[in-house]
Order: sequence, then structure tokens, then C-alpha cells
Amino acid sequence: MSTTDQTDVLQTIRDELAAIKVPGAQEATPETTWADLDVDSLDLVELVKALEDRYEVQIADGELKKIESVGDAIALVESLRS
Amino acid sequence: MSAGADQRTEVVVTGRGVVSSLGETPEALFDALIARRSGIADGVGACADFDPEAAMTPKEARRADRYTQFAVAAADRAAQEAGLPEGADPDRVGIIVGTGVGGLTTLQAECKAWLEEGDRAVSPHFVPMMMPNAAAGTIAMRLGAHGPGFSVSSACATGAHAIGEGLRMLQRGEADVVVAGGTEAALVGLCLAAFRRMGALSRDGVSRPFDARRDGFVMGEGAAVLVLERAEHAKARGAQALARVAGYGATNDAFHITQPDEDGRGAAAAMRLALQDAGATPADAGWISAHGTGTPYNDKIETKAIHAVFNGSAPPVSSQKSSVGHLLGAAGALEALVTVEALRRGVLPPTINLEQPDPECDLDYVPEGPREAGGLQLALSNSFGFGGQNACLAVAKA
Repeated sequence: MSTTDQTDVLQTIRDELAAIKVPGAQEATPETTWADLDVDSLDLVELVKALEDRYEVQIADGELKKIESVGDAIALVESLRS
Repeated sequence: MSAGADQRTEVVVTGRGVVSSLGETPEALFDALIARRSGIADGVGACADFDPEAAMTPKEARRADRYTQFAVAAADRAAQEAGLPEGADPDRVGIIVGTGVGGLTTLQAECKAWLEEGDRAVSPHFVPMMMPNAAAGTIAMRLGAHGPGFSVSSACATGAHAIGEGLRMLQRGEADVVVAGGTEAALVGLCLAAFRRMGALSRDGVSRPFDARRDGFVMGEGAAVLVLERAEHAKARGAQALARVAGYGATNDAFHITQPDEDGRGAAAAMRLALQDAGATPADAGWISAHGTGTPYNDKIETKAIHAVFNGSAPPVSSQKSSVGHLLGAAGALEALVTVEALRRGVLPPTINLEQPDPECDLDYVPEGPREAGGLQLALSNSFGFGGQNACLAVAKA
């Protein structure tokens, strides 16, 4: 996965979090954690659907709960696409 | 049970909050009622100016059905007027906020998404947005209220039952403060179609309680919340008593799922019980805030029930639904809140749109009102729900 792709995934995550009205969504970086964003399990269900739809991957229920940051989510999408 | 708690524990109103088509403060609503303004346009009483993000963050608002948004806005203002949480033990603050039908906006949208796109299209927020206890739960979180909390539901009597059950909770000594009320946001196509199919809605979209031309109710939306409190607790906190919830009566018609019992027995019994609970006689009641829906059945039978209780000497009776429509689960709470304001001001709001008297509705409905009533000390607020469930509140001047 290229840097461009990673940037794209980051922006998708920002956009989806913004769409579900998470404060600070557009300022998120790979280092930003779900805790920083006050994102809960219901938010993550919505984020998973957005990522699955855009990247045509399947993320198992609860997968995002095991990871803690935006960067972890980018890496998960990357691993599923490779 | 705390010391001194019993059926005669004095309970006062120390805070009020409202969202309605005629304003978002008790004062604005009452001013509009006595100015004979109507909140009804295009056949519904919508809260067109309501801004959910004035009360909640964008994220909170997105996760709350409109019915919860209304309730949160009303509860915040009620808590603010009551000066909560100052001086109240969070473990002894209860929440009883009901809805007649719950999150119908959410239900309608999610059913459509599921039918058209399948499971994955269903929001993870669907259940917590739709469930009828969402408003009570959300309010508890905001106020940090750890006492008893739940929703009650009795269709169009919900708001009155919530306040009455709040009174009982305080009398049983289970809480020092109860935030009680009703909320409804059911102006969605599915619900409007259903009420229309039942023949319950006015065909021309005008609310005309007790008028000979009445042909059904007009749906409104909104919320009203009261802070109820043991009088001695309010006093100790320095909270002002705005009125007293003096009595409550609840009965069941056990007759028909939508029609009131034809002899008005259940409605009359609720009024008698509320008066008795207040230690009052019919002669003590100076005004009745009617259920007054504008359906042919309700208004005729409610009139009959009032006659049965007051035996030829009924006080004036007004229907606030003439002005704001029928707020279903919020109606009883909004009408109780207006009753508090009527007692405070000594003014009776009118029944508007009552121009052609019906021989079967022969009480004084204050059609020309507002009317001065400086001596008003005690008023009844009637609410009768589908399901045959009746509630009457007796509210007294503080």
C-alpha cells in the first residue's frame, strides 16, 4: 500500500468520523487514538461500514475495537487489501 | 423510606421546561395561549424553530431521536430553573419521562433502510434512539441523576401519568427530587397516516375542541418537563415553589382500545380520585384543563364525566389542544405546565376555534378567553389515553 493510499484511508477515516459528528475528526492523525476522539463502539460500527464500502474489504465485528488508533486502522485496511 | 415520607408528603414544582409550537419557555407558551395564537400550520403543530444543537452537541443530537432531543432541551431548562444539581443528592434524583410512541422518526427511516438495503444499512444507533426510555436515560446522564429512572407510556395520558407517578415516588420516600414529564415527536408520515386511517385526525386540520363542527384532533409535537420535589427539600435548597402537585388519580376504562367508555365513568373516577388525593372537594377546583382533543367522542364524554363529578357546578374548562394540537405523550405534561402558569398568573387560557356550540358540550369552555381568575387556588388537568388509561392531576397554588 503506497503512501498515497495511506493518505486516502486517513482521509476516509476523517470524513466518516466527521460525518458522525466526532469533534476534531478532520484534525486526526495516525497517532490519534479512539480515546482521544472519545469514539465508542457504536461509532466504530459506522466507521467499519464506511471503510468496507470504500475499500471493498471485510472487517470482522469488533476488529477495530482491538486497535487503538487511527494509524492501527489504516494498517488494518492495508493488511486486508494486500 | 426516609423519615416522614407518606401519602401526605407535600410535593412542589420547582422547575419547568417546555418545547412547543408556541414557544420554548413556560412564559412564552402561556403568553401565546392567552393571545389566542395557534401553533398549528398546514394541519400540524410542529416545533419549526427547534434547534437540537442548542441543547446538545452535534454528536449527541445525531444519536438522539427528535423525541429525545425535545425532552433533553425541556429537562435542561427545568433543571436550570430548579437550580439543580445544587443541594440535591444525585442518588435521590429520579427521572420519569415518558413518550406515547417513542422514536418514530428513527423507526420509519431504519425500516426503510433495512427493507431497501438489508442488514448492513441498519444504524447501530437504531435501538437506543427508538426505545421509549431513551429520553429518560439521556436526561439522567446529563443531570448525573442516579435515583430511579424509567419511562412510562399510556399514549395520550403519558405526561400526566409521569408526573403523577413522580408524585407517588416522592411520597413513598424513594427520591427527594423527580424530573417528570412527557415528550413526543410523531409528525412522521407513518404515524400521521395511521391516525388518519383511524379517522382520528381533523380532516381540515383545524383543532376545534367542544365545537359542533369538531371532527378529530390535530397532531402536535414537543415536550414538557417539571422538576418535582418534596417541599421541605426545596425549602432547604432555597428552590422556589412554583406550584404544588396536590393530587393524582389514575383509572382504566377497560372498555375499548381507542374509544372512551361511553358514560365517562373512568374519566370521572380519575377526577374524583385526584380531588380526594388532594384532600379537596369539587367546589375547591376553580378550573379544569381538559383533555379536550377535538374528537367527537372525547369532548362529549369528557363533558359528561365533568358533569358527573361536579353535579351542575362545574368550573370553567379549557382545551389547550385548541392552540397547540395534541402532543400525545407530551400533552399531559405540557398541560400541567400550563396549569402551573395559570395558577401563578390567575388567568385561564381560552379554548380557541370554539364558535358553534354543541348541545352535548354544554360547559363553560372559556371560548372568549383569556379570563381573569385571581382567586384560582386549585385546578385539575385531565388526560385520557388510548388503551383506556386515564390520569388526572390536581395542581394547587404554591
